[in-house]
Amino acid sequence: MKKSLWGLMLSLAVVLAGCSGGEESGGAEGEEPVEQSDSKTLVIANGTDVVSFDIHDHNTTSTEAVHVNMFNYLLTNDGEEGFKPDLAESWENVDDKTWSFKLKEGVKFHNGEDLTADDVKYTLERIAKDDTLLEHGNYNQIQEVKVLGDYEFEIITKNPEPALLNRLSRLGSGILPKDYIETEGWEVFLEQPVGTGPYKFKEWKKDDRLTLEANTEYFGEAPKWEEVVFRSIPEDSTRVSELLTGGVDVAVNIPPTDVERINNTDGVKAVQSPTQRVMMFTLRTDEGSVTGDPKVREAIDLAIDKQAIVDSLLEGAGTVTRTRVTPGNVGANEDLYGKSLYDPEKAKQLLEEAGHADGFELALSAPNGRYLKDKETVELVTAMLSEVGITVNLELMEWSAFNQKYQEKGFGEMFYIGYGNSMFDASLALDRLTTEEAAGESDYNNPEVNDLLLAAEQNMDADERAQQYQKAQELIAEDRPQIYMFQLDAITGINERLNFEPRLNEMFYVDSITLK
Amino acid sequence: MKYFLKSLVKTIPVLLLITLIVFLLVRVTGDPVSLMLPETATEAERDSLREAMGFNDPLPIQYLNYLRDLVTGDFGDSFRYNTDALNLILERLPATLELAIASMIVAIIISVPLGILSAVKRNSFLDLFITGGAVLGKAMPSFWLGIMLILLLSVTFQFFPVSGRGTLGHLVLPAITLGTGIAAEMTRLIRSSMLEILGQDFIRTARSKGLGEAIIVNKHAFRNALIPVVTIMALQTSTLIGGTLITETVFAWPGLGQLLVQSVNLRDMAVVQAATFIIAIFVILSNLFADLVYRLLDPRIKYD
Repeated sequence: MKKSLWGLMLSLAVVLAGCSGGEESGGAEGEEPVEQSDSKTLVIANGTDVVSFDIHDHNTTSTEAVHVNMFNYLLTNDGEEGFKPDLAESWENVDDKTWSFKLKEGVKFHNGEDLTADDVKYTLERIAKDDTLLEHGNYNQIQEVKVLGDYEFEIITKNPEPALLNRLSRLGSGILPKDYIETEGWEVFLEQPVGTGPYKFKEWKKDDRLTLEANTEYFGEAPKWEEVVFRSIPEDSTRVSELLTGGVDVAVNIPPTDVERINNTDGVKAVQSPTQRVMMFTLRTDEGSVTGDPKVREAIDLAIDKQAIVDSLLEGAGTVTRTRVTPGNVGANEDLYGKSLYDPEKAKQLLEEAGHADGFELALSAPNGRYLKDKETVELVTAMLSEVGITVNLELMEWSAFNQKYQEKGFGEMFYIGYGNSMFDASLALDRLTTEEAAGESDYNNPEVNDLLLAAEQNMDADERAQQYQKAQELIAEDRPQIYMFQLDAITGINERLNFEPRLNEMFYVDSITLK
Repeated sequence: MKYFLKSLVKTIPVLLLITLIVFLLVRVTGDPVSLMLPETATEAERDSLREAMGFNDPLPIQYLNYLRDLVTGDFGDSFRYNTDALNLILERLPATLELAIASMIVAIIISVPLGILSAVKRNSFLDLFITGGAVLGKAMPSFWLGIMLILLLSVTFQFFPVSGRGTLGHLVLPAITLGTGIAAEMTRLIRSSMLEILGQDFIRTARSKGLGEAIIVNKHAFRNALIPVVTIMALQTSTLIGGTLITETVFAWPGLGQLLVQSVNLRDMAVVQAATFIIAIFVILSNLFADLVYRLLDPRIKYD
């Protein structure tokens, strides 16, 4: 009996060795540290796997960061140099609701088919019409796409849509192969995705790695890597360890506390770059709330030392700001960026003037574990506010519970949140502050701001529109329905054999990552 | 045989109860739609998605629909991957089984010799050392142990790759991480079980007829001590699967555990439901398996 038990174990061991020995380890796997044996392969470690190849049915920046290497947009916008042609050769705003485009000729999908205006129509009308797709809300402004020829088409919007180019240069706009999808079906497309990009799909092992290979037929500059591997490594410290041992070339989302360790290791370094996420407090401004008094809101702002929080908790990985529309976004008011107010003495004086010389109580809700150092930040803020006599009843919540209350607009006087902005446009950044959207949340109601925001929403004069947004930001900074804390930085760890400039939009255009 | 058929029938209400509990839990812990959309989504966007996903139906209707589909083997589609939940799980199962079996082998390699040694040399310094080690092994969180092993054996000495799955080398650290806690439990059990057996009459008889100590310990005592150990091994199936949740996340091991963790975080309900269902089946089957092995080890055990 004992023999057969041991026999069983032995056979299990053999099976085990059999199922793990079959695969090739790949040059990037740990054995040869820091110096990579295969210089034609780039390995990037993300915190999460790509969610899908349905480019319309996700809203994950880290997934888009991978997709941009497989699919092309009509035009690109990195937030720094404005719009540049990609699949579209040129475009023109014909009238308030019509935009005409001309496609580049000779662009081929990975399966050899030619790109034509029919593919554009198929792609954009799918997302504009199917309301079950997660990106639908950012495309339902499109009425239809009119095909004028193989390489010419017009996009008709329902209303004047000044941010159309912003919409077309981001998540959800990668042009899909109509014929391939219609003949093979979505299931096949999702397993064997086909795009026009510099890299084509090779293999996807979910929650492990996605491998792309060079598309030698690419219409643009030839791809620089033979193979690109996106690994999914959820645990921060594991991602850092892979970077330190040369297992990966690039590792995203490095915790600030690991920066020193990385920079002290030869062959790797950490680079810091701004993101589109701005952390802020939203305050109730209605008459019934203690924060309804503008003086109280100003005092709260003045009592919080934002720079100290950036320096101590984030180890410098952030930039203080008095606006949510940061540089790189259309309509940014740069006069309010990089600045913050801190004057606890004046805060006390304001509270006294507002009739709160003996202090008062305030409810503050914040998520715990959603954003970088969120819990620590609000705890420090609680301490800072108590210095000026404000007693904060802090409620820390797990994200899903917080989110529930957020949707129900059920918070007390203040809550802490961070918003991203993949549109690179002030409209998305400020839309919660129109009278209609703010109702029940901040209850912010400044008719002047409301008029400016609504007018800018459909203003086709780009300069005037930007000015409207800038003016609105000035007024908001004074009214403080939201108190802005800082813009978060992303920290990326890279192998020093590479040239790499992180982008504001957090995309990995792998061909911009080159060997030194 | 009749006993096992009976046991199998008894599992049906258990599985039903599990589906109900999991079904309710994933729905009371947060609105999946608002977790799927970004903070900037409007109420109208959330409403249209909720309607499209069928979340506007009353809960009992949703549950009945779910059960109806379940009978036909349809666990629903994953929101995250837009694909069949059961397929996702079956895709990951080999990786998790590989890790679980390797961890069990690690646990056996560590615990069998140590447990026997500790019993034979009871109250010695060695025994104290092993028992102390077992307590420590049990107390160490696998999360911490995993990270420490990576820092020491992958970053500092670079013996093993840090994370991922592929070669046998990739398997070593996660298997040690997961196997250690189980080894600790098993070492203590083998020790006490051996002590009990070693004090029994038949061992004294064996000694008195002049058998060597090695034969007594290995052949007579250990086999009899195995019965409670097999129980523990079977009960460890659930610990093992629980352990894979953490270990797979630390080592970026693409198995069921990591899938479940991410699905819970994203409220990917179909996957959470299907995964717990499959895990429940595994635990039930492993308990039945333990019953079976009992009988092989000790023919005196009879079932009616």
